[in-house]
Amino acid sequence: MSSSTPDLFDSLPVPVQPSAGLALVPPGPQGTARRLARELWLCLLLPRLSLEALAGGGAGSDREICVVEGSGSQQRIAAVSEAAARRGVTPGLGLNAALALRPELELLGRQPSAEAAMLQRLAHWATQFTPLVSIEPPQALLAEVRGSLGLFGGAEALRRRAARELDGFRLCSIATLAPTPRAALWLARAGLQVPMESMDELPAIASRLPLACLDWPQAATRALATLGVQTIADLVRLPRDGFARRFGPALLDELDEGFGRRPQPRRRAVVPERFDDSLELPAESGSSRLIEIALEHLLERLQAFLRARAAGTRGLAIELRHRGIPATRFRLGLARPSGDGHHLLALLHERLAHLPLPAPVLSLRMRSTVVTPLELRAGFLPGEAEREVDPEAAARLLERLRARLGGDAVFSVCLVSEHRPELAWRVAEPSLLRSGCAPAVPGASRFLPSKAGGTRPRGDLAARLVAEAPLAPRPLWMLAEPQCLQECDGAPWHDGDPLDLASSPERIETGWWDGRDVRRDYYAAGGRGGVRLWVYHDRGRDGGWWLHGVFG
Amino acid sequence: MTSAELDELLQHPSVWRASSAQGALKTLPTGFRRLDERLPGGGWPLDTLIELLLPAHGVGELNLLVPALRELGKGDPGPRRWIAWIGPPHVPYAPALAGAGLDPARMLVVRPRGLRGGDSPLRGQSPSQPSSQSPDSALWAMEQALRSRACAVALGWTDAADGNSLRRLKLAAEEGGSLGVLFRPQHRAGEPSPAALRLLLEPRGRALDVLILKSRGGTPGRVEGVVGRTGPGRGRPASEFLSPERAEASPTPPRF
Repeated sequence: MSSSTPDLFDSLPVPVQPSAGLALVPPGPQGTARRLARELWLCLLLPRLSLEALAGGGAGSDREICVVEGSGSQQRIAAVSEAAARRGVTPGLGLNAALALRPELELLGRQPSAEAAMLQRLAHWATQFTPLVSIEPPQALLAEVRGSLGLFGGAEALRRRAARELDGFRLCSIATLAPTPRAALWLARAGLQVPMESMDELPAIASRLPLACLDWPQAATRALATLGVQTIADLVRLPRDGFARRFGPALLDELDEGFGRRPQPRRRAVVPERFDDSLELPAESGSSRLIEIALEHLLERLQAFLRARAAGTRGLAIELRHRGIPATRFRLGLARPSGDGHHLLALLHERLAHLPLPAPVLSLRMRSTVVTPLELRAGFLPGEAEREVDPEAAARLLERLRARLGGDAVFSVCLVSEHRPELAWRVAEPSLLRSGCAPAVPGASRFLPSKAGGTRPRGDLAARLVAEAPLAPRPLWMLAEPQCLQECDGAPWHDGDPLDLASSPERIETGWWDGRDVRRDYYAAGGRGGVRLWVYHDRGRDGGWWLHGVFG
Repeated sequence: MTSAELDELLQHPSVWRASSAQGALKTLPTGFRRLDERLPGGGWPLDTLIELLLPAHGVGELNLLVPALRELGKGDPGPRRWIAWIGPPHVPYAPALAGAGLDPARMLVVRPRGLRGGDSPLRGQSPSQPSSQSPDSALWAMEQALRSRACAVALGWTDAADGNSLRRLKLAAEEGGSLGVLFRPQHRAGEPSPAALRLLLEPRGRALDVLILKSRGGTPGRVEGVVGRTGPGRGRPASEFLSPERAEASPTPPRF
């Protein structure tokens, strides 16, 4: 190895001779403190995915099942169930050889689309750990979980939990953690489930892995084998330029990505915002108990899906498919978004109890509405809730109302110092009331000139308001325009009945200076059906009786 | 401490947990003694939906609410909150509000057709849809107001509320910690409703009778002369409004 050529990894504090720091991966800083990587990737490898996607729970049972890929004489075994593996059938075996070994094998054709769908579904499930989930075809998921460790009790606890849940789905899995996604994948392929959280541990552990973990093209692996390269440690001793020339830059990039010397951007698994999933029943069944169990499974998936988005659904559409006849459909509407599987199951249970089933059920499908963010609110101590008002709530409400109804549709009112009733108020902008005590309200003070001049008494607001209001009673409702009343024998009529003018009139005669002078006698009047009205008799030009307000 | 020990500790009778605390019935005195005596908890139920059924607008339904409105959301302690008027038949008149001790600046009026848009004629028998707004937007706006926690009360005028929308309103009121008051024509009295309290207002002569149609935790029945009126137009002394305690203590109900 020439000292002028940089090695593939001139960094490894491993069995490598530190040959002038020129190996394939250069050495990192020799710090004493353990460096925690900025990222931590969880790799979930599903070695039997091609079988599990087709046979479901059958993969771990006593059935001898094989998935076959390829065509013609090239047909090979892609995956085998445990029972078949015990009898010597291994992946990679030719179909004829396998059948010669075990003639009673159940054979299934490989379906890449089913595998992809399953991975996508598992990606949804994995979003409960982190939103950064990406799919590594053909049979792995990669998730960046550094930010979620605190929530799940540490890296190892999270890894175990993921593995346990996959186990619960009856999926065979290998879960590994590493600071880079590719290293996590290498570890998973080697079946090495050791937690590896720091960048420093990475070279030491990774370099012991066999070359097969890299999953490189066979030609490259074979060529390396002829060079005597058996492990990654052997590999990283090779010179960089020579390696790139012979095997192409793509493989070198892969190594750099694995050792964290080159970023590896990952595409997030696209997550639709509407849950839609189905489940085949193990056998055609009309038993509501069995259907309920299947629904429970779907609800578990729904719950994981919703939890990942901190969201809830406003409703579910359930489809129970039968053989030969149209599916039984029903909908479950919710008053407010919910993501609680138990709650939904209780509701579904009620519905199922009264649901007539025309035929046994083959499969189920569950769809959610478009999910809506769930507002999680902390619990209050008794008596605390009232005071806890979101200061932005008022602004948000105003925006929402105006967005839908228009800006003019939402307003407040204020007083104007004026004797003409129709001019004694005007429309005001709603004030975003935040303060706890009355004198600090700007709106009120602006329109309430105080009798005490500048030194406004800090008294009860209500008392001040009453002091400012007209002495004679005013109706709580004002008509936008006075409404002309019928007159009969000099008395006003409303709604086919004469009005009962019980009060002495209040005369308002003012406004001569701006041309809109009024000369009116106002009466409170009792109308038909106990309605109390505010009417006036115009003593000016027009004359007649007018309805101006309703006391309410 | 192990979780078993913790569980044991939590069983202790003197330990209460916030999650299991059942809030007592929250009520607010109506300001009318005769009515308070008949309502469970001695007043308007809070954080829920109340329905007032009327033969026509203007029979005294607002005056029935004024003492409670004065108390609600006046922000002592805590933030002041709006009183929302959703689709009222007419605009609330600021001088009268001030006269009743209500701060006009606390009103939030929602009239989808704007200010000049739609005074509805007073009809003798059925106060129908106040303006030509779509009933959906009034219900929607009321639900938003109730849910927002920015309104102490939302007063709504709509005829187009079916059982489901009423339930939604009630739920919104419970969630938002606000009181929803729905004014509906009296011919709806026969329809079922999830409202916690349903009152049918019946003006009789110069007094207002209240027929309790439904009262959660109480008994239905008639309350006569809730608001005794000496005569329309007689001014009421402002002091009567300012101290509900005095009104309660007085042998005669406050006069309106």
